[in-house]
Amino acid sequence: MSLLAIDSISKSYDGVLALNRVSLAVRQGTIKGLIGSNGAGKTTLFHLISGMESPTAGQISFAGVDITGKAPHEIAVLGVGRTFQTIQIWGTMTVVENILAGMHTRVPGNLLSCGLWLPWIHKGEKAALKEAKGILEFLGLLGRWKWPAMQLSFGQQKMLELGRALAMRPRLLLLDEPAAGLTPAEVKKLSEKVCELKGQGITIVVVEHHQGMVMEIADEVAVLHNGELIADNTPAAVKRDRRVIEAYLTGGGRGA
Amino acid sequence: MVTKHQHEFRKRDLFLTGGLWLISLILPNPHLPYRKEFLKKRDFLYLGVLVLLPMVWPDSLFLMGLAGIYAIVALGLSLFLGYAGQISLGHAAFFGIGAYTTAILTTRYGVTSVGAFWAAAAAAALCAYLIGKPILKLKGYFLALATLGFGEIFLVIVREARDLTGGVSGIFGVPLFSVAGFAFDTYLKQYCLIWGTLIGLVLFAKNLVRSKIGRALLAVAASEDAAASVGINVVQVKLGVFVISAAFAGLAGSLFAGVMSTASPDAFGLGLSVLMVMMVIIGGMGTLYGPIFAAIFLTWLTNALAAYQEYSLPIFGVIILLLLIFFPDGVGTRLNARLIYLISYWGRKQRRERVDT
Repeated sequence: MSLLAIDSISKSYDGVLALNRVSLAVRQGTIKGLIGSNGAGKTTLFHLISGMESPTAGQISFAGVDITGKAPHEIAVLGVGRTFQTIQIWGTMTVVENILAGMHTRVPGNLLSCGLWLPWIHKGEKAALKEAKGILEFLGLLGRWKWPAMQLSFGQQKMLELGRALAMRPRLLLLDEPAAGLTPAEVKKLSEKVCELKGQGITIVVVEHHQGMVMEIADEVAVLHNGELIADNTPAAVKRDRRVIEAYLTGGGRGA
Repeated sequence: MVTKHQHEFRKRDLFLTGGLWLISLILPNPHLPYRKEFLKKRDFLYLGVLVLLPMVWPDSLFLMGLAGIYAIVALGLSLFLGYAGQISLGHAAFFGIGAYTTAILTTRYGVTSVGAFWAAAAAAALCAYLIGKPILKLKGYFLALATLGFGEIFLVIVREARDLTGGVSGIFGVPLFSVAGFAFDTYLKQYCLIWGTLIGLVLFAKNLVRSKIGRALLAVAASEDAAASVGINVVQVKLGVFVISAAFAGLAGSLFAGVMSTASPDAFGLGLSVLMVMMVIIGGMGTLYGPIFAAIFLTWLTNALAAYQEYSLPIFGVIILLLLIFFPDGVGTRLNARLIYLISYWGRKQRRERVDT
């Protein structure tokens, strides 16, 4: 059964067509790679799924629920986590606070009970802190848990952003260029983590220019070109696809 | 600003207020604190300074009372402006709503001070909820303009609804704040009342800040997209903190009416709103104690400069400019960082933790 089903979705900005009737299905527990040259509409597709923008036409459903046009936080609560192309961590907060804020919807409390620090708030905070440290340990950031997030290195910030998305216990994780700007060693580590997450039952969609990584970890690869889906198959089949080779793998300027 | 006792500009005052900031200049910058722990050593240090100040400087009691009232407003505004990163130029209106609610309820309807105290908070919170719903969709300059407009509308209503508010001259003879027959009729008693309330509210605000609410506020201020991506309802968070900060202002207004015995439109103009924003900015965005110290400092400064009459505003402006040049991230932020360093220097434990990590 497909966890995420995108049905002939279109998005245009003032007449410029960014996505043209794209249909895509992501099966539960798999990793879907999404590749394409710059401006192909990959990030737009992510914005549409996570609700930051609403589509011009078409429908998106997640786990059987129609999420087209819902607000971003409503979609997030359903279990869709995401990272951003340009890092969007909260630099003024400490590393562990970033993770704790990611758990927002799961930590109990409202304005009044938090202000009075009622017993269950204390309990909830304690449990959340323990869990947050577990996530930081998984990402190898535990040693830096008290640091202000902006003092982390670029690679660590990327990891932290991934951790924040994990903190909300997503069923579907959207990773927007997680490997961009990372060193080869960091990319390798990231691949391992992503595969490990898949093992935990999280479904993942990953937009990436680093083709070595995508082809290695993805179960299926979809290729976007000028807002249209030109291939959606296993990595090996996509590599051989003539249209893909023409449009992207060689002609796109950013080869493997 | 209301000034009952004019103080001479004295070297001793300068020493007292300036000393702390001078100390803060000397020490290097440490790491940011982790906001989990509640009352740390430095909190007691801050509270100690606040309690001791009127003792070493007894004729400051009236001014400190006034500063405390402004500090309550600044504390609430600090949550909205300093933590959530939203601007409001209309907080004097919530302050005024609190004062007028108290004045009207106690003089016309014979409600007790304590009843009016809570009613003031509720009235301010309700107004904030009603106007916050539509205007909190705005950001930055637009939000500033909308809240500024709200403040002006409040003044017009107060001036025109003469039957209810006494028009331009306001309401006089508001009974002094009293709890079960105990009247707060001396400056010392009023000081205790105001600062007692303030400390209670500081604890409330501190709890908010260290909980999920505080994290949501900082997250919304830093990146709304990222906040929404983890399921934080940005609009709800903004509205909630707007209502809370208005309730703080309402409580302060109630105390103001109960201590000054009057409520008149002059006291709640745009000047006060701007002063509140200045307290938060000079005190330091994202700190709770900073705005309180800034409230004391600015109240004292306005009062001390009153002796210079027409030169007072230019001097005030220059001092504010100098503060912003030398403490661009706010005095409180710097002071906080320095004190943490100082305390952790005394207590080696915290330092060893830092080396480990």
